Amino acid sequence: MVAAAMRELREVLYVDGVRTAFGRAGPKGRFWRTRADDMAVKAVRELLRRNPEIPAERIGDVVLAATAQVGDQGLTLGRDVALLAGLPQTVPGFAVDRMCAGALTAVTAAAGEIALGAVDVALAGGVEHMGHHPMGEDVDFNPRFVSERLIDESAAVMGRTAENLHDRFPAITRERADEFALASQQKAAAAWRNGVMRETVVPMAVFSDDGWKVADRDEFLRPDSTLEGLAALEPAFRAGGRVTAGNSAGLTDGATAALLVSEQAAQELGVTPKLRLLGYAYTGVEPHLMGYGPVPATRRVLEQAGVTLDQVDVFELNEPFAVQVLTWCDELGVAADDPRLNPYGGAIACGHPLGATGIRLVAQLAYGLRERGGRYGLTALCVGMGMGCAVLWESTA
Amino acid sequence: MSDTFFNVNRVESRVGAIALVTVDNGEDHTKPTTLGRSAFASAVAMIEQLETGDWAAMVLTGKPFVFCVGADIDEFTRVRSAADALDGSRAGHGLFGRIRALPFPTVAAINGACLGGGLELALHCDTRTIASSVRHLGFPEVFLSIVPAWGGTQLAPQLAGPEAAARLIVTNPLRQNRLLAAPETCELGFADLVLEPVEFVDESLQYAVDLVEAGGVERPAADWSELETVLRRTRSRVDDAVHGATRAPYVALELIAGAKEWSLEEGYAAEEAAMAELLPSPQAQASAYAFTVVERRTRKATGVPDVAPRRIEKVGIVGAGLMATQLATLILRRLEVPVVLRDLEQERVDAALEAIRDEVLSRKPFLATLVSGGRGWDGFAGCDLVLEAVFEELAVKHEVAAAVREVAPGAILATNTSSLSVEAMGADVGLHFFNPVAVLPLVEVVRTPQTTDEQLATAWDVVKKLRKRGVLVHDAPAFVVNRLLTRMTTVLMDALEHGNTVEETDEAILSLGLPMAPSVLLQMVGPRVANHVLETLHAAYPERFPLSATLARYAEGRDEIVVRGDARRTVEQIREDALEAVADEVRHLLDERVVEAAADVDACLILGAGYPFFLGGITKHLDQAGISERLFGCTLAEYGKIPA
Repeated sequence: MVAAAMRELREVLYVDGVRTAFGRAGPKGRFWRTRADDMAVKAVRELLRRNPEIPAERIGDVVLAATAQVGDQGLTLGRDVALLAGLPQTVPGFAVDRMCAGALTAVTAAAGEIALGAVDVALAGGVEHMGHHPMGEDVDFNPRFVSERLIDESAAVMGRTAENLHDRFPAITRERADEFALASQQKAAAAWRNGVMRETVVPMAVFSDDGWKVADRDEFLRPDSTLEGLAALEPAFRAGGRVTAGNSAGLTDGATAALLVSEQAAQELGVTPKLRLLGYAYTGVEPHLMGYGPVPATRRVLEQAGVTLDQVDVFELNEPFAVQVLTWCDELGVAADDPRLNPYGGAIACGHPLGATGIRLVAQLAYGLRERGGRYGLTALCVGMGMGCAVLWESTA
Repeated sequence: MSDTFFNVNRVESRVGAIALVTVDNGEDHTKPTTLGRSAFASAVAMIEQLETGDWAAMVLTGKPFVFCVGADIDEFTRVRSAADALDGSRAGHGLFGRIRALPFPTVAAINGACLGGGLELALHCDTRTIASSVRHLGFPEVFLSIVPAWGGTQLAPQLAGPEAAARLIVTNPLRQNRLLAAPETCELGFADLVLEPVEFVDESLQYAVDLVEAGGVERPAADWSELETVLRRTRSRVDDAVHGATRAPYVALELIAGAKEWSLEEGYAAEEAAMAELLPSPQAQASAYAFTVVERRTRKATGVPDVAPRRIEKVGIVGAGLMATQLATLILRRLEVPVVLRDLEQERVDAALEAIRDEVLSRKPFLATLVSGGRGWDGFAGCDLVLEAVFEELAVKHEVAAAVREVAPGAILATNTSSLSVEAMGADVGLHFFNPVAVLPLVEVVRTPQTTDEQLATAWDVVKKLRKRGVLVHDAPAFVVNRLLTRMTTVLMDALEHGNTVEETDEAILSLGLPMAPSVLLQMVGPRVANHVLETLHAAYPERFPLSATLARYAEGRDEIVVRGDARRTVEQIREDALEAVADEVRHLLDERVVEAAADVDACLILGAGYPFFLGGITKHLDQAGISERLFGCTLAEYGKIPA
């Protein structure tokens, strides 16, 4: 009998995750003179330092996400970063890209390896230095997309897809978006005063035109935001539009990393994982309404796992645009101010380094479930070119 | 050179605010940060910020890959007076003393090159972390005929004892400016902790936090018990190296010894007095000049045509003697292309191949498979470059040239001749290396009227790839180094033939501070070769290069001086005569346009004959001593610039 026929799939557990502080992209940003791969190295090394029970040589694969896989994010990041971080040369790695869902794709790809028994321990992560790699860098858009009307041309500009959502769901007004943004900033300000950021953010010394500094806080935090201030901002993508710099996430530099193990490896190594992976779903939607993606993805993953929305104790949703989260809320019937939703604020306050963001969501979810004694948690994001991603977790506590 | 500035940034930690100070010049690592005048103004502001703030600790580090490489050498030559030199030293003491006096723990985080004043800055901190990647740490001052005078001679021995300090400050600079790497720095006691480079600044900050929590650092007093032995041993090494010709190493030793008893203030004052003496001295000024010649002038490929060099994919070496073996090894190792040797005797070829393979096998075994050779010309087809190093006789060279043109018509034919005419032997270009090839960096790149732009550019490119230092010269008998050394030898032979002893002629030259006695050098070069060069030069310039019966005897293996008369000179007179002869020959080199300027002569002597920095090659010394002025009515530096 062939061994494979007898094999059972293995449970995949999340051990821990960390991120760098998130910086403003561009010459004025904290990380402007820091390499993207060095940021990922920092996250990886801190993660291993915090989890000394896991010997580096037991890591079976390093899966790293980045949307722009060139320059300081090129060279098969997973392998590149593993070597730069000082992991043994026996540890392999690779790179993935699903734009904003890059880090969660790294997590689910690594989870697949664990579930199948290919590896016992995996490291997943993501990095995006949007200062060094502006969105759409070096992209050669196929003219067929437009000439054959395969997609609406607005699909290529994320801010315009956000305006499209406002158009499609008129109940979501500029005012609701600004209110949501304000709440995100306020929740984030509070979160920096409690333990979640200390547990999930690693300070990093960075060189700048003004010498070495320590990047230990997100640069997009605006704890003093007011509704009036937000209302005064000009629309960024369309005359008379509703999407502003205040109710969307800024262009961001950041890196994240997480450790995943099989249940057996956890026992053997004596590690205490935080979450169990219950399931995940990626879906496709109309590209010019890419922000709708998490709606069908959430429905599908809940159905897969047999969990109802009411049973979920924490939702960590990415916030590229307030309208995008509000669309998800309205469609699924979750109030925008539901305390389960983004309890520590979101990307509007901390930024969204595309391929890195997913693991920030998971790390904060783990903290949130523990803090609330919750059981189920959902991480979800929308993805450019019309996709959604949702990953469902269960606390191991 | 860009201005240097100190940036202070505040980092919050569990023990309070840490001042994270960066010394930077806003350039990338190819332009290292120096401590010139501009740095001082910025440093004062930095220190005031530190003295007045609520700091728990300070961490001082550099821009990526560089900590700080010390004083700006270009400012040396502008210091003419003792008072200026003293002020420069005192300014450093004032500033660095305030860093030492800061009331909280201070950490120098040495992240990269750390030289001279940069190292003194680090030594004024309480503790030092060092990145494991650091390979350039040291005090090059004595190499430049000055001393560390921002506290280095006092703090180094107090921290690590006189032996380690003497090594760092005196003996390392005299050993071709040897520098320390991180592990050695720590073992000697000049740094406290080696950290991985990857998170160096983060971990140095953590070290500062730990230091605050531990209440600072306590060190045992340095062990001075071996001071006398250290002084004696080091002095004898210094004598061997410079023969008293430059004061700096001796003064440095006195300062190190003084640190045993002096307070730091007394030590600072002694350094200031030493700098007032040394910096305006001819030796220090000549050293600054030599630095510029060697590090700047020769790195610019002045006169090399701006055309694409030919790609070298196979090299032929004609000859398999000692020189040919060294050249083949170097070419194989640096170019990593097939190398084929040819000699008349198979035995010699076999010995050469074995030596070459032995040499390359340990590091890159595949290179051993790339070298071949024999008695015939079989392997030479397809060579892009053929370098001949056969017997120094024009007829033999002609035969070689004819054979090479036939088997490898496309090849550039280069010759390693030490004195014959490149043009007359039918070679395209000269590549004159110096023995021992592994030690002496110079290659005289010889062009003839027939040398094409591509050939010259290729020759230059090859020299660069071999990591040698080229000086472009025109085809003339014995080029530069051998011509000058031979001219000097004629004076020494003349003295011997008129009643002086070898000890006296040796002493005459050694007292200049040259590393090797002429009689020892003669044995190393080989009297036969030396006599052959003399014969070539005699044929070209019979008046200035008389044949020497004594050298001819030496060449025959007879250690016998042929006395021609009794006109015994003092050692000083011999030295003077030798210097005048050299000055005269430099003038002829310039008149004949063999080199473009006197500075090229100096580059050749420093890189090819080990002449010391403190003589500035030789022309700086000739100018400083007034010899040029007396002979030509102007300095050689000026002479070189006047069109003939």
